[in-house]
Amino acid sequence: MILPRFDILIPDTIGEACAMLSQYADKGVKIIAGGTDLLVDLKRPIVPSEIPTCKGCSTHKSGGVRSTIDCGWWETDSSQESDQALLKKVQDSIHKYPEYLISIHKIKELHGISVNEKGNLRIGAMTTITEIERSKVVREKWTALAEGADSLGSPLVRNRGTIGGNIANARPAADTFIPSVALSGILTIQSEKGSRKIPVDKFATAPGKTVMKEGEIITAIEYPAPPKFTGSAYYKLANRKALEISNVGVAVWIALEKPGGPVADIRVALGAVGPTPIVAESVKNELIGKLPDNETIKKAAGAARDDARPIDDHRGSAWYRSMMVELVTDRMIRLAVKRAGGEV
Amino acid sequence: MKKLVTITVNGVTHELAVEPRRTLLEVVREDLGLTGSKKGCGIGDCGACTMLVDGVATFSCLMLAIQADGCVVETVESLAENGKLNKLQRSFVDVGAIQCGYCTPGMLMMATELLRRNPHPSEKEIRRSLSGNLCRCTGYQKIVEAIKAVAGE
Repeated sequence: MILPRFDILIPDTIGEACAMLSQYADKGVKIIAGGTDLLVDLKRPIVPSEIPTCKGCSTHKSGGVRSTIDCGWWETDSSQESDQALLKKVQDSIHKYPEYLISIHKIKELHGISVNEKGNLRIGAMTTITEIERSKVVREKWTALAEGADSLGSPLVRNRGTIGGNIANARPAADTFIPSVALSGILTIQSEKGSRKIPVDKFATAPGKTVMKEGEIITAIEYPAPPKFTGSAYYKLANRKALEISNVGVAVWIALEKPGGPVADIRVALGAVGPTPIVAESVKNELIGKLPDNETIKKAAGAARDDARPIDDHRGSAWYRSMMVELVTDRMIRLAVKRAGGEV
Repeated sequence: MKKLVTITVNGVTHELAVEPRRTLLEVVREDLGLTGSKKGCGIGDCGACTMLVDGVATFSCLMLAIQADGCVVETVESLAENGKLNKLQRSFVDVGAIQCGYCTPGMLMMATELLRRNPHPSEKEIRRSLSGNLCRCTGYQKIVEAIKAVAGE
Protein backbone atom coordinates (compact mmCIF):
# COMPACT_ATOMS: atom_id res chain seq x y z
CA MET A 1 0.00 0.00 0.00
CA ILE A 2 2.16 2.77 -1.32
CA LEU A 3 0.58 6.17 -1.76
CA PRO A 4 -0.11 7.35 -5.32
CA ARG A 5 2.10 10.11 -6.67
CA PHE A 6 1.26 13.67 -5.71
CA ASP A 7 3.09 16.89 -5.08
CA ILE A 8 2.83 18.69 -1.79
CA LEU A 9 2.39 22.38 -1.08
CA ILE A 10 3.04 23.84 2.37
CA PRO A 11 1.55 27.31 2.85
CA ASP A 12 2.46 29.52 5.83
CA THR A 13 -0.75 31.56 5.90
CA ILE A 14 -4.45 31.00 5.25
CA GLY A 15 -4.24 33.47 2.35
CA GLU A 16 -1.54 31.41 0.67
CA ALA A 17 -3.54 28.23 1.16
CA CYS A 18 -6.61 29.81 -0.47
CA ALA A 19 -4.53 31.04 -3.41
CA MET A 20 -3.10 27.55 -3.91
CA LEU A 21 -6.58 26.02 -3.77
CA SER A 22 -7.79 28.13 -6.66
CA GLN A 23 -4.53 27.96 -8.61
CA TYR A 24 -4.53 24.15 -8.74
CA ALA A 25 -8.30 23.61 -8.69
CA ASP A 26 -8.46 22.01 -12.16
CA LYS A 27 -5.57 19.63 -11.39
CA GLY A 28 -7.27 18.03 -8.43
CA VAL A 29 -6.19 19.42 -5.11
CA LYS A 30 -6.98 18.38 -1.55
CA ILE A 31 -6.20 19.83 1.83
CA ILE A 32 -4.40 17.47 4.19
CA ALA A 33 -4.81 18.20 7.89
CA GLY A 34 -4.04 15.24 10.18
CA GLY A 35 -4.16 12.81 7.28
CA THR A 36 -5.90 10.13 9.33
CA ASP A 37 -8.74 9.90 6.82
CA LEU A 38 -7.26 11.30 3.61
CA LEU A 39 -4.14 9.12 3.51
CA VAL A 40 -6.20 6.03 4.30
CA ASP A 41 -8.45 6.82 1.33
CA LEU A 42 -5.45 7.41 -0.91
CA LYS A 43 -3.87 4.10 0.12
CA ARG A 44 -6.85 2.05 -1.01
CA PRO A 45 -5.74 -0.04 -3.98
CA ILE A 46 -6.89 1.00 -7.42
CA VAL A 47 -9.22 -1.44 -9.23
CA PRO A 48 -7.66 -4.22 -7.19
CA SER A 49 -8.51 -7.55 -8.80
CA GLU A 50 -8.29 -6.37 -12.40
CA ILE A 51 -4.75 -5.10 -12.67
CA PRO A 52 -2.93 -7.50 -15.03
CA THR A 53 0.58 -8.85 -14.86
CA CYS A 54 3.34 -6.67 -16.27
CA LYS A 55 4.84 -8.10 -19.44
CA GLY A 56 8.14 -6.38 -18.87
CA CYS A 57 8.80 -2.65 -18.85
CA SER A 58 11.42 -0.14 -17.80
CA THR A 59 10.33 -0.35 -14.16
CA HIS A 60 9.80 -4.11 -13.91
CA LYS A 61 12.46 -5.35 -16.31
CA SER A 62 11.63 -9.02 -16.45
CA GLY A 63 7.92 -8.54 -15.87
CA GLY A 64 5.85 -11.11 -14.03
CA VAL A 65 4.71 -8.73 -11.27
CA ARG A 66 1.34 -7.04 -11.05
CA SER A 67 1.40 -3.77 -12.92
CA THR A 68 1.34 -0.63 -10.89
CA ILE A 69 -0.04 2.68 -11.97
CA ASP A 70 3.41 3.95 -12.89
CA CYS A 71 4.27 0.74 -14.76
CA GLY A 72 5.77 1.52 -18.17
CA TRP A 73 3.90 -1.38 -19.76
CA TRP A 74 0.72 0.66 -19.85
CA GLU A 75 2.31 3.13 -22.19
CA THR A 76 4.41 0.82 -24.33
CA ASP A 77 2.61 -2.41 -24.96
CA SER A 78 -1.09 -2.22 -24.44
CA SER A 79 -2.15 -2.87 -27.98
CA GLN A 80 -4.89 -5.38 -27.21
CA GLU A 81 -8.37 -3.97 -27.01
CA SER A 82 -9.17 -5.43 -23.61
CA ASP A 83 -5.94 -3.92 -22.31
CA GLN A 84 -6.89 -0.54 -23.72
CA ALA A 85 -10.26 -0.67 -21.98
CA LEU A 86 -8.61 -1.63 -18.72
CA LEU A 87 -6.00 1.06 -19.16
CA LYS A 88 -8.75 3.64 -19.50
CA LYS A 89 -10.41 2.36 -16.37
CA VAL A 90 -7.20 2.55 -14.40
CA GLN A 91 -6.42 6.00 -15.76
CA ASP A 92 -9.89 7.24 -14.85
CA SER A 93 -9.44 6.06 -11.31
CA ILE A 94 -6.02 7.68 -11.14
CA HIS A 95 -7.55 10.97 -12.12
CA LYS A 96 -9.79 10.80 -9.09
CA TYR A 97 -6.67 11.14 -6.97
CA PRO A 98 -5.47 14.65 -6.28
CA GLU A 99 -2.29 15.76 -8.02
CA TYR A 100 -1.57 18.21 -5.24
CA LEU A 101 -1.98 18.04 -1.49
CA ILE A 102 -1.90 21.23 0.54
CA SER A 103 -0.54 20.49 3.99
CA ILE A 104 -1.76 23.21 6.32
CA HIS A 105 0.15 22.15 9.45
CA LYS A 106 2.40 25.21 9.43
CA ILE A 107 -0.38 27.81 9.51
CA LYS A 108 -0.28 29.11 13.08
CA GLU A 109 -3.72 30.79 13.07
CA LEU A 110 -5.35 27.40 12.52
CA HIS A 111 -4.10 26.00 15.83
CA GLY A 112 -5.35 26.47 19.34
CA ILE A 113 -8.28 26.77 21.71
CA SER A 114 -9.32 30.17 23.08
CA VAL A 115 -12.24 31.86 24.82
CA ASN A 116 -12.98 35.44 23.78
CA GLU A 117 -14.29 38.36 25.87
CA LYS A 118 -17.91 37.37 25.18
CA GLY A 119 -17.18 33.92 26.54
CA ASN A 120 -17.41 32.21 23.15
CA LEU A 121 -15.14 29.26 22.50
CA ARG A 122 -13.00 29.29 19.36
CA ILE A 123 -11.17 26.21 18.18
CA GLY A 124 -8.79 26.44 15.22
CA ALA A 125 -9.47 23.89 12.49
CA MET A 126 -6.05 22.22 12.88
CA THR A 127 -6.44 21.72 16.64
CA THR A 128 -6.00 18.03 17.36
CA ILE A 129 -8.63 15.92 19.05
CA THR A 130 -6.15 15.23 21.89
CA GLU A 131 -5.81 18.97 22.57
CA ILE A 132 -9.60 19.25 22.83
CA GLU A 133 -9.78 16.15 25.03
CA ARG A 134 -7.25 17.64 27.46
CA SER A 135 -8.62 21.19 27.48
CA LYS A 136 -10.03 22.01 30.92
CA VAL A 137 -12.27 24.83 29.70
CA VAL A 138 -13.84 22.66 26.99
CA ARG A 139 -14.57 19.88 29.48
CA GLU A 140 -16.03 22.29 31.99
CA LYS A 141 -18.30 24.38 29.76
CA TRP A 142 -18.72 22.45 26.49
CA THR A 143 -18.70 18.98 28.05
CA ALA A 144 -20.37 17.18 25.14
CA LEU A 145 -17.51 18.17 22.83
CA ALA A 146 -14.89 16.88 25.30
CA GLU A 147 -16.81 13.61 25.50
CA GLY A 148 -16.93 13.41 21.71
CA ALA A 149 -13.15 13.89 21.63
CA ASP A 150 -12.75 11.15 24.27
CA SER A 151 -14.58 8.61 22.17
CA LEU A 152 -13.02 9.31 18.77
CA GLY A 153 -10.78 6.59 17.28
CA SER A 154 -7.77 5.76 19.42
CA PRO A 155 -5.11 7.87 21.18
CA LEU A 156 -2.99 7.67 18.01
CA VAL A 157 -5.85 8.88 15.83
CA ARG A 158 -6.63 11.66 18.31
CA ASN A 159 -3.00 12.80 18.37
CA ARG A 160 -3.03 13.44 14.61
CA GLY A 161 -6.70 13.93 13.74
CA THR A 162 -8.12 17.46 13.78
CA ILE A 163 -11.56 18.87 14.50
CA GLY A 164 -11.59 20.67 11.14
CA GLY A 165 -10.88 17.43 9.33
CA ASN A 166 -13.39 15.45 11.36
CA ILE A 167 -16.15 17.90 10.46
CA ALA A 168 -15.00 18.51 6.86
CA ASN A 169 -15.36 14.81 6.08
CA ALA A 170 -19.06 15.14 6.93
CA ARG A 171 -19.59 11.57 8.05
CA PRO A 172 -22.89 11.33 9.92
CA ALA A 173 -21.26 9.48 12.84
CA ALA A 174 -18.23 11.76 13.36
CA ASP A 175 -17.60 12.12 17.07
CA THR A 176 -16.86 15.84 17.21
CA PHE A 177 -19.45 16.66 14.54
CA ILE A 178 -22.50 15.49 16.54
CA PRO A 179 -21.63 17.39 19.77
CA SER A 180 -20.79 20.46 17.65
CA VAL A 181 -24.33 20.38 16.25
CA ALA A 182 -25.86 20.15 19.73
CA LEU A 183 -23.63 22.96 20.99
CA SER A 184 -24.67 25.25 18.08
CA GLY A 185 -21.17 25.46 16.62
CA ILE A 186 -20.51 27.88 13.77
CA LEU A 187 -17.84 27.19 11.16
CA THR A 188 -15.72 29.91 9.63
CA ILE A 189 -14.94 29.12 6.02
CA GLN A 190 -12.45 31.17 4.05
CA SER A 191 -11.60 31.55 0.39
CA GLU A 192 -9.84 34.13 -1.75
CA LYS A 193 -13.14 36.01 -1.96
CA GLY A 194 -13.45 36.42 1.79
CA SER A 195 -14.92 34.46 4.65
CA ARG A 196 -18.38 33.23 5.56
CA LYS A 197 -19.95 31.55 8.56
CA ILE A 198 -22.06 28.42 8.47
CA PRO A 199 -23.90 26.79 11.39
CA VAL A 200 -22.58 23.24 11.79
CA ASP A 201 -26.06 21.75 11.39
CA LYS A 202 -26.36 23.32 7.91
CA PHE A 203 -22.90 22.12 6.83
CA ALA A 204 -23.44 18.56 5.60
CA THR A 205 -25.83 17.82 2.74
CA ALA A 206 -25.21 14.05 2.39
CA PRO A 207 -22.61 11.57 3.69
CA GLY A 208 -19.26 13.11 2.75
CA LYS A 209 -20.93 16.02 0.92
CA THR A 210 -20.98 19.57 2.24
CA VAL A 211 -21.93 23.12 1.30
CA MET A 212 -18.25 23.96 0.80
CA LYS A 213 -17.30 25.25 -2.63
CA GLU A 214 -14.09 24.90 -4.57
CA GLY A 215 -11.29 27.00 -3.12
CA GLU A 216 -12.69 27.10 0.41
CA ILE A 217 -11.05 26.05 3.65
CA ILE A 218 -12.43 25.67 7.17
CA THR A 219 -10.40 27.90 9.47
CA ALA A 220 -12.16 27.65 12.83
CA ILE A 221 -15.26 26.61 14.71
CA GLU A 222 -16.93 28.79 17.33
CA TYR A 223 -19.32 27.83 20.08
CA PRO A 224 -21.53 30.37 21.84
CA ALA A 225 -20.94 30.93 25.55
CA PRO A 226 -23.27 28.69 27.56
CA PRO A 227 -25.91 30.60 29.54
CA LYS A 228 -26.30 29.91 33.26
CA PHE A 229 -27.64 26.52 34.36
CA THR A 230 -26.50 24.75 31.20
CA GLY A 231 -25.31 21.18 30.80
CA SER A 232 -24.35 18.98 27.90
CA ALA A 233 -23.46 15.35 27.29
CA TYR A 234 -22.48 13.01 24.45
CA TYR A 235 -22.57 9.24 24.29
CA LYS A 236 -21.27 7.02 21.54
CA LEU A 237 -22.88 3.61 21.45
CA ALA A 238 -20.50 1.28 19.63
CA ASN A 239 -19.43 -2.35 19.58
CA ARG A 240 -15.94 -1.60 20.88
CA LYS A 241 -14.51 1.05 23.18
CA ALA A 242 -11.83 2.22 20.75
CA LEU A 243 -11.20 2.39 17.00
CA GLU A 244 -14.89 2.17 16.29
CA ILE A 245 -17.61 3.98 14.42
CA SER A 246 -20.79 4.52 16.38
CA ASN A 247 -24.04 2.62 15.96
CA VAL A 248 -25.79 5.58 17.49
CA GLY A 249 -24.36 8.80 18.88
CA VAL A 250 -26.43 11.28 20.89
CA ALA A 251 -25.41 14.75 22.03
CA VAL A 252 -27.68 16.79 24.29
CA TRP A 253 -27.39 20.44 25.29
CA ILE A 254 -29.87 21.75 27.83
CA ALA A 255 -30.46 25.08 29.59
CA LEU A 256 -32.69 25.37 32.66
CA GLU A 257 -34.48 28.51 33.82
CA LYS A 258 -33.06 27.94 37.31
CA PRO A 259 -31.50 25.02 39.18
CA GLY A 260 -34.21 22.42 39.56
CA GLY A 261 -36.50 24.54 37.38
CA PRO A 262 -38.16 24.05 33.99
CA VAL A 263 -36.27 23.67 30.72
CA ALA A 264 -35.46 26.97 28.98
CA ASP A 265 -33.97 25.45 25.85
CA ILE A 266 -32.74 22.10 24.55
CA ARG A 267 -30.90 20.83 21.50
CA VAL A 268 -30.48 17.15 20.72
CA ALA A 269 -28.22 15.96 17.89
CA LEU A 270 -28.38 12.39 16.64
CA GLY A 271 -25.47 10.69 14.90
CA ALA A 272 -25.30 7.62 12.64
CA VAL A 273 -29.07 7.50 12.24
CA GLY A 274 -29.41 9.51 9.03
CA PRO A 275 -27.36 10.70 6.05
CA THR A 276 -26.26 13.74 8.05
CA PRO A 277 -26.42 14.60 11.77
CA ILE A 278 -30.07 15.08 12.74
CA VAL A 279 -31.37 17.78 15.06
CA ALA A 280 -34.26 16.21 16.94
CA GLU A 281 -36.60 19.21 16.77
CA SER A 282 -39.64 17.53 18.28
CA VAL A 283 -37.80 17.10 21.58
CA LYS A 284 -38.20 20.86 22.04
CA ASN A 285 -42.01 20.61 22.05
CA GLU A 286 -41.88 17.93 24.70
CA LEU A 287 -39.51 19.68 27.08
CA ILE A 288 -39.31 23.47 26.75
CA GLY A 289 -41.17 25.21 29.56
CA LYS A 290 -41.71 21.95 31.40
CA LEU A 291 -40.04 20.45 34.43
CA PRO A 292 -37.63 17.72 33.32
CA ASP A 293 -39.24 14.93 35.30
CA ASN A 294 -39.25 11.22 34.60
CA GLU A 295 -42.35 11.16 32.42
CA THR A 296 -41.45 14.22 30.35
CA ILE A 297 -37.95 12.95 29.61
CA LYS A 298 -39.35 9.57 28.56
CA LYS A 299 -41.72 11.29 26.15
CA ALA A 300 -38.92 13.50 24.80
CA ALA A 301 -36.70 10.48 24.16
CA GLY A 302 -39.57 8.87 22.26
CA ALA A 303 -39.86 12.02 20.16
CA ALA A 304 -36.15 11.80 19.34
CA ARG A 305 -36.65 8.23 18.19
CA ASP A 306 -39.34 9.37 15.77
CA ASP A 307 -37.01 12.05 14.36
CA ALA A 308 -34.24 9.55 13.59
CA ARG A 309 -34.04 7.98 10.13
CA PRO A 310 -31.74 4.99 10.63
CA ILE A 311 -30.93 2.36 8.01
CA ASP A 312 -29.91 -1.30 8.23
CA ASP A 313 -26.20 -1.87 7.79
CA HIS A 314 -23.40 -4.05 9.14
CA ARG A 315 -23.21 -1.99 12.34
CA GLY A 316 -26.81 -2.55 13.30
CA SER A 317 -30.39 -2.74 12.08
CA ALA A 318 -32.67 0.25 11.75
CA TRP A 319 -34.93 -1.28 14.39
CA TYR A 320 -32.09 -1.65 16.89
CA ARG A 321 -30.85 1.84 16.21
CA SER A 322 -34.31 3.33 16.76
CA MET A 323 -34.54 1.62 20.13
CA MET A 324 -31.06 2.80 21.05
CA VAL A 325 -31.76 6.40 20.02
CA GLU A 326 -34.59 6.43 22.54
CA LEU A 327 -32.52 4.79 25.29
CA VAL A 328 -29.37 6.88 24.81
CA THR A 329 -31.31 10.14 24.40
CA ASP A 330 -33.17 9.39 27.64
CA ARG A 331 -29.89 8.85 29.50
CA MET A 332 -28.14 11.83 27.96
CA ILE A 333 -31.01 14.22 28.79
CA ARG A 334 -30.89 13.05 32.42
CA LEU A 335 -27.12 13.50 32.54
CA ALA A 336 -27.27 16.94 30.93
CA VAL A 337 -30.05 18.04 33.33
CA LYS A 338 -27.92 16.91 36.27
CA ARG A 339 -24.95 18.85 34.93
CA ALA A 340 -27.16 21.91 34.48
CA GLY A 341 -27.98 21.81 38.20
CA GLY A 342 -31.34 20.14 37.94
CA GLU A 343 -32.67 16.98 39.51
CA VAL A 344 -34.24 14.06 37.75
CA MET B 1 9.48 16.20 -7.17
CA LYS B 2 11.69 15.35 -4.23
CA LYS B 3 11.92 17.87 -1.43
CA LEU B 4 14.62 18.45 1.12
CA VAL B 5 13.70 17.84 4.73
CA THR B 6 15.63 17.92 7.98
CA ILE B 7 14.55 15.34 10.49
CA THR B 8 16.24 14.53 13.79
CA VAL B 9 15.86 10.83 14.52
CA ASN B 10 17.09 9.48 17.84
CA GLY B 11 19.38 12.46 18.34
CA VAL B 12 20.95 12.39 14.88
CA THR B 13 19.96 15.10 12.40
CA HIS B 14 19.46 13.89 8.85
CA GLU B 15 19.02 15.96 5.74
CA LEU B 16 17.08 13.93 3.23
CA ALA B 17 15.57 14.35 -0.20
CA VAL B 18 12.18 12.64 -0.09
CA GLU B 19 9.35 12.11 -2.50
CA PRO B 20 6.14 13.78 -1.20
CA ARG B 21 4.17 10.54 -1.16
CA ARG B 22 6.58 8.71 1.16
CA THR B 23 5.57 8.25 4.76
CA LEU B 24 7.75 8.89 7.78
CA LEU B 25 7.76 5.12 8.42
CA GLU B 26 9.04 4.34 4.93
CA VAL B 27 11.80 6.92 5.17
CA VAL B 28 12.94 5.85 8.65
CA ARG B 29 12.95 2.16 7.73
CA GLU B 30 14.23 2.30 4.17
CA ASP B 31 16.44 5.39 3.99
CA LEU B 32 17.76 5.47 7.55
CA GLY B 33 17.79 1.71 8.02
CA LEU B 34 16.05 1.85 11.39
CA THR B 35 13.81 -1.16 11.03
CA GLY B 36 12.68 -1.36 14.66
CA SER B 37 9.39 0.36 13.84
CA LYS B 38 7.08 -2.06 12.07
CA LYS B 39 4.52 -1.68 9.35
CA GLY B 40 1.36 -3.54 10.26
CA CYS B 41 -1.83 -2.34 8.63
CA GLY B 42 -0.49 0.83 7.01
CA ILE B 43 -3.79 2.64 7.65
CA GLY B 44 -3.60 3.69 11.28
CA ASP B 45 -5.47 0.80 12.85
CA CYS B 46 -2.73 -1.24 14.53
CA GLY B 47 -0.13 1.09 16.05
CA ALA B 48 2.90 -1.11 15.21
CA CYS B 49 4.56 1.90 13.55
CA THR B 50 4.20 4.22 16.55
CA MET B 51 7.00 6.79 16.91
CA LEU B 52 7.23 9.88 19.05
CA VAL B 53 7.20 13.02 16.91
CA ASP B 54 8.10 16.06 19.01
CA GLY B 55 7.18 13.91 21.98
CA VAL B 56 3.72 13.00 20.69
CA ALA B 57 2.92 9.35 19.92
CA THR B 58 2.19 9.26 16.20
CA PHE B 59 1.45 6.53 13.71
CA SER B 60 4.27 7.03 11.25
CA CYS B 61 2.46 5.16 8.47
CA LEU B 62 -0.05 8.02 8.16
CA MET B 63 2.36 10.91 8.49
CA LEU B 64 4.16 12.11 5.39
CA ALA B 65 7.92 12.42 5.87
CA ILE B 66 7.64 15.98 4.56
CA GLN B 67 5.25 16.83 7.39
CA ALA B 68 7.98 15.76 9.84
CA ASP B 69 10.36 18.40 8.47
CA GLY B 70 12.06 20.08 11.44
CA CYS B 71 10.66 17.56 13.91
CA VAL B 72 12.40 15.48 16.54
CA VAL B 73 11.55 11.83 16.07
CA GLU B 74 12.12 9.02 18.55
CA THR B 75 11.86 5.36 17.58
CA VAL B 76 12.18 2.17 19.59
CA GLU B 77 15.93 2.16 18.86
CA SER B 78 16.30 5.20 21.13
CA LEU B 79 15.12 3.39 24.25
CA ALA B 80 18.14 1.23 25.08
CA GLU B 81 20.79 3.02 27.16
CA ASN B 82 24.43 2.24 26.32
CA GLY B 83 23.45 -0.96 24.61
CA LYS B 84 21.36 -2.15 27.55
CA LEU B 85 17.59 -2.45 27.63
CA ASN B 86 15.95 0.34 29.61
CA LYS B 87 13.62 -0.28 32.55
CA LEU B 88 10.50 -0.50 30.44
CA GLN B 89 12.04 -2.88 27.91
CA ARG B 90 13.50 -4.99 30.73
CA SER B 91 10.07 -5.15 32.32
CA PHE B 92 8.51 -6.36 29.03
CA VAL B 93 11.09 -9.18 28.92
CA ASP B 94 10.81 -10.07 32.61
CA VAL B 95 7.01 -10.13 32.70
CA GLY B 96 6.73 -12.00 29.40
CA ALA B 97 4.98 -9.20 27.53
CA ILE B 98 6.62 -10.25 24.26
CA GLN B 99 5.27 -13.06 22.16
CA CYS B 100 5.86 -12.69 18.44
CA GLY B 101 7.22 -9.19 19.10
CA TYR B 102 5.66 -7.44 16.13
CA CYS B 103 3.56 -5.02 18.18
CA THR B 104 6.29 -4.52 20.79
CA PRO B 105 8.02 -1.44 19.29
CA GLY B 106 4.68 0.35 19.07
CA MET B 107 3.61 -0.74 22.54
CA LEU B 108 6.94 0.44 24.00
CA MET B 109 6.72 3.86 22.34
CA MET B 110 3.10 4.32 23.40
CA ALA B 111 4.00 3.35 26.99
CA THR B 112 7.03 5.66 26.89
CA GLU B 113 4.80 8.62 26.00
CA LEU B 114 2.27 7.69 28.70
CA LEU B 115 4.90 7.33 31.43
CA ARG B 116 6.52 10.66 30.53
CA ARG B 117 3.18 12.43 30.77
CA ASN B 118 1.95 10.47 33.75
CA PRO B 119 4.63 8.49 35.64
CA HIS B 120 2.09 6.60 37.75
CA PRO B 121 -0.89 5.74 35.55
CA SER B 122 -3.72 3.55 36.77
CA GLU B 123 -4.50 0.30 34.98
CA LYS B 124 -7.45 2.02 33.33
CA GLU B 125 -5.22 4.80 32.03
CA ILE B 126 -2.72 2.25 30.70
CA ARG B 127 -5.43 0.31 28.90
CA ARG B 128 -6.95 3.47 27.44
CA SER B 129 -3.54 4.63 26.25
CA LEU B 130 -2.91 1.31 24.48
CA SER B 131 -6.36 1.16 22.90
CA GLY B 132 -4.98 1.98 19.46
CA ASN B 133 -2.21 -0.63 19.58
CA LEU B 134 -3.19 -4.11 18.54
CA CYS B 135 -1.43 -7.29 19.67
CA ARG B 136 -2.53 -10.18 17.46
CA CYS B 137 -1.07 -12.68 19.93
CA THR B 138 -3.63 -11.07 22.29
CA GLY B 139 -0.96 -10.73 24.97
CA TYR B 140 -2.51 -7.58 26.39
CA GLN B 141 -2.61 -8.75 30.01
CA LYS B 142 1.16 -9.17 30.22
CA ILE B 143 1.79 -5.91 28.37
CA VAL B 144 -0.36 -4.02 30.86
CA GLU B 145 1.41 -5.80 33.74
CA ALA B 146 4.83 -4.91 32.35
CA ILE B 147 3.89 -1.21 32.20
CA LYS B 148 2.30 -1.38 35.64
CA ALA B 149 5.49 -2.84 37.08
CA VAL B 150 7.42 0.21 35.87
CA ALA B 151 4.66 2.66 36.83
CA GLY B 152 4.42 1.27 40.35
CA GLU B 153 8.04 2.00 41.20
